Amino acid sequence: MSTPTLGRPSNVSEALARGRLGVPSVIFFVLSAAAPLTVVAGVVTTGYGVVGVLGIPVAFLTVAAVLALFSIGYVAMARRMTNAGAFYAYVSRGLGRPAGVGAAWVALIAYNALQVGLYGTIGAAAEPVLGRLFGVAPAWWLVALIAWATVGVLGLLRVDLNGLVLAALLVAEMVVIVAFDLGQLTHPAGGNVSFAALSPENLVVPGAGAVLVLAILGFVGFESAVVFSEESKDPRRTVRLATYLSIAIIAGIYALSSWSMTVAVGPDRIAAEAGEQSIGLIFNLAEAHLGGTAVAVGQALFLTSVLAAMISFHNTTARYAFALGRERVLPAVFGRTSPRTGSPRAASLAQSALGLVVIVLYALNGWDPVVQLFYWVGTAGGFGVLLLIATTSVAVIAFFARSRAEETLWRRALAPGLAAVALAVIVVLAVANFADLLGVAPDSPLRWAVPAVYPVAALLGLLWALVLRDSRPDTYARIGLGAESVAATVPTTGHVGASVPAATAARR
Amino acid sequence: MLIADEFFLITHNDSRGKAKLHPTATGLGLAGGLLGELVLQGHVTVASGLVTVVDRRPPADALAHTVLDQLVGETQQHPVRTWLSFLAQTATASVGERLVRAGVLRRQESRRLIRTTVSYLPIDLNAVAWPATRLRALLDRPEPPSVPDGTLLGLVVAAGLSREVLWSAGPRAHHRLGVLIPALPPPLRELVANTEAAVGAAVLRGAG
Repeated sequence: MSTPTLGRPSNVSEALARGRLGVPSVIFFVLSAAAPLTVVAGVVTTGYGVVGVLGIPVAFLTVAAVLALFSIGYVAMARRMTNAGAFYAYVSRGLGRPAGVGAAWVALIAYNALQVGLYGTIGAAAEPVLGRLFGVAPAWWLVALIAWATVGVLGLLRVDLNGLVLAALLVAEMVVIVAFDLGQLTHPAGGNVSFAALSPENLVVPGAGAVLVLAILGFVGFESAVVFSEESKDPRRTVRLATYLSIAIIAGIYALSSWSMTVAVGPDRIAAEAGEQSIGLIFNLAEAHLGGTAVAVGQALFLTSVLAAMISFHNTTARYAFALGRERVLPAVFGRTSPRTGSPRAASLAQSALGLVVIVLYALNGWDPVVQLFYWVGTAGGFGVLLLIATTSVAVIAFFARSRAEETLWRRALAPGLAAVALAVIVVLAVANFADLLGVAPDSPLRWAVPAVYPVAALLGLLWALVLRDSRPDTYARIGLGAESVAATVPTTGHVGASVPAATAARR
Repeated sequence: MLIADEFFLITHNDSRGKAKLHPTATGLGLAGGLLGELVLQGHVTVASGLVTVVDRRPPADALAHTVLDQLVGETQQHPVRTWLSFLAQTATASVGERLVRAGVLRRQESRRLIRTTVSYLPIDLNAVAWPATRLRALLDRPEPPSVPDGTLLGLVVAAGLSREVLWSAGPRAHHRLGVLIPALPPPLRELVANTEAAVGAAVLRGAG
């Protein structure tokens, strides 16, 4: 046996480094979950129609700046975290376990809302494609149920869409979005390109809080790059760079697209036109600018984009419930996997059950799928994610204040502090403008009922954590550790249960 | 039989050699088994998440010898989790080959289009089904299982296979399973816990 010398390369590290991810792979992962065409064709158009405010492009840029600021501290803390993918883990580390369970409850509701909301738009997305291919126009809920079954089965089989397929779809979506944007910019309403929508004044109007929440919705997924902290080529650099670049790319493409829409329709008419044509808006524009083929490709990609987003959010939500089941904060059954596929079976089934209930409820009551399901439930989810990000920014400050980890003042206090203030302002504006966000009358009960869901859930989570602290202290100690909780709570001392001496019992 | 061998047979208890458990968990469970064998024979120990070699004398088994050499050959100590990921990359093939050498399985290469797949087919179906049957019977007995059996049961639970292995077992067996793992000697308990954490982390990463 050779004597190891200093600086000799480690076989183990090299063998494990082979599969490590670089910046582009992480960015592709983040962006494919973001499903850009779903946001541009679905969220932005409905947003213009419902909120009726011109500030969407500026809101995307503002939110990008705030999230970039937030990410500085977030990524720095992520390297010191187990279970780095989930906001509630940061909250439990920074602000204590009761707050962590509160955040976990909020996250479960918010991510479920984001996933379930997508069932509302799949009908509208599939209609032109099915019409062109088969000449049929089925009811939205029929399409939603087929999509629901597909998502449910794929979730159980644990078919995460192949990375290459997702990357190809993503690139195609980007190309279509840019082509549509160019079409819109070269055919401005009234003959000249208007920069009115890019003026910062558009955010100093009633309804500003609403468009800011809408913009947050577009960025959901940026937080997932940190999952790859351990698997990236350079843990200090790869994830940080990938997070910033993802935010920049998302901001660029969404701001451009939402602005070019106003150019083509006219800043004064965008709200009315978007309200009337809804999801069809950018396709109708493209029909006039680029012709039928471009529209057909765009509509097909919109359909795949919504489906990919559904699968992605389904898996995110199921994994959230799985992590909580592993901690025993949710019943242990959520922490079990299907042996053959390794899918978090119970968590996946529970998410699917919720989706079915919502689709059936909307179908039976005849509620509007696009505005009342996709838009309302989706923005409610976006608001939940906003609350999570805001709480996490405070948790980051508290964590670094306590741990005295070696980080620059900027990373551990100043950047997260500025982000926390900015996010708090957005939360206050959002709550003040919630009626605008939903497009309901200021005295509608929904205006308070929807945002109130989260504080109530957070409070219940907090109380549940306190119950756990008194009744099940081992469970309480595991809060926030996710899958790692099993290994983290191994007691340091213990007794040997069996009498066979360990050294001689290896062979039977 | 060594614990990684029994784990392999439990996960490949099938006439065509098909796996009952998804590849990530199979690899990690087998890696846990290989480390467990070295712990049980007193060659290495696990404490505070790190693997330490305590006895460099070569083990009798060729695969255990190879694994120990790999452990000794590293200049720095690695966490259990790192070793589990490292050994998991090759564990299915290396334990499969060990069972071929022992005359329990036979190797079969089949080509589908361009990909060559290796499967390990049972020579005697009863021999392959035996470990799972044995574990079930073990939990119904009044006396506690031996430490190696307890470790194997712990790894089965860690890989998420407990319900499949114990499908016919009564509530008493499930209860005993619950108290068995906390009663393992600390290094093995830590090994089992880290295996379970690694399997869970793979699910959260969405790695297949």
